[in-house]
Amino acid sequence: GSDTEVTWEDQQNINKFGRLNNRFHELEDEIKIAKETNDNLEDASNELILTDEEVVRFQIGEVFAHVSKDEVENRIEQMKEVTSQKLEKLEEEKESVLAQMSELKKILYAKFNDSINLEED
Amino acid sequence: MASSSSTSGSASGSAVTERRGIPGAQFVEDVQTYLTQSGLDVGSALAFLQERLQQYKVVEMKLLAQQRDLQAKIPDIEKCLDVVATLQAKKGTGEELIADFEVSEGIYSRARIEETNSVCLWLGANVMLEYTLEEATGLLQKNLDNARASLEVLIADLQFLRDQVTITQVTIARVYNWDVHQRRIQQAVATTAQE
Repeated sequence: GSDTEVTWEDQQNINKFGRLNNRFHELEDEIKIAKETNDNLEDASNELILTDEEVVRFQIGEVFAHVSKDEVENRIEQMKEVTSQKLEKLEEEKESVLAQMSELKKILYAKFNDSINLEED
Repeated sequence: MASSSSTSGSASGSAVTERRGIPGAQFVEDVQTYLTQSGLDVGSALAFLQERLQQYKVVEMKLLAQQRDLQAKIPDIEKCLDVVATLQAKKGTGEELIADFEVSEGIYSRARIEETNSVCLWLGANVMLEYTLEEATGLLQKNLDNARASLEVLIADLQFLRDQVTITQVTIARVYNWDVHQRRIQQAVATTAQE
């Protein structure tokens, strides 16, 4: 029955858990995309090493500009750097979110037991 | 940081009444008091709360659509800035920029872009204006900053909205449980009275 009262603090904890859960799923999607980008850049890097052309068609905006192989190598290295850092930040945030969710689960289950369900269906 | 749910830990359970047109969900301290004060019976209260939930869902759809638009727009602006920066870098080198571009789907042609001081920017509504490379960079950067700022506000709106949805869902559950509890008590009383 309705033996346990829900306080404003409880509600805020529940709200926070909801927000964290949403963010967790967003992060999973973002991490997936960042990993794909990383892989693509890695593939591009490897192709560059294999090619013996001096001029490469590199996409800038909506066109393929003719760019020297060296410059393309630099650009790709830069892009890899950016994506790696982004990926690292995302993974860190994901760990943090999971930890916070774990804490809140402890608190909420302690108070509400079976009256609350915090698992993914 | 957006001022969504109040951070006051007080027992009064204050909350923001609304945010940019989104009504705040009233937190219910005690179900009995809530029903007495609002003068609603359980059925009407539940109906009201369910309708609120639907309204929130409608707004959520709208905001999510706006968020998708902004999230698509931002990389586009970044691409434009990249192009302008490339043209800028070519200035003074005496080199032309050779680019393969799409004439029609699947058909490409080659263009020779000579050193230039200006580009044309599509402003929308069938209007295209010529800008110097510096002006173009400035305008594009401003658009990018605005888009990012709008996205932040939008995300905060969505968080606020989702909090109100959660509060409403919890309130619905509590009202319903309270009703079940009341009926059980009445049942018990009726049974005892019969004995």
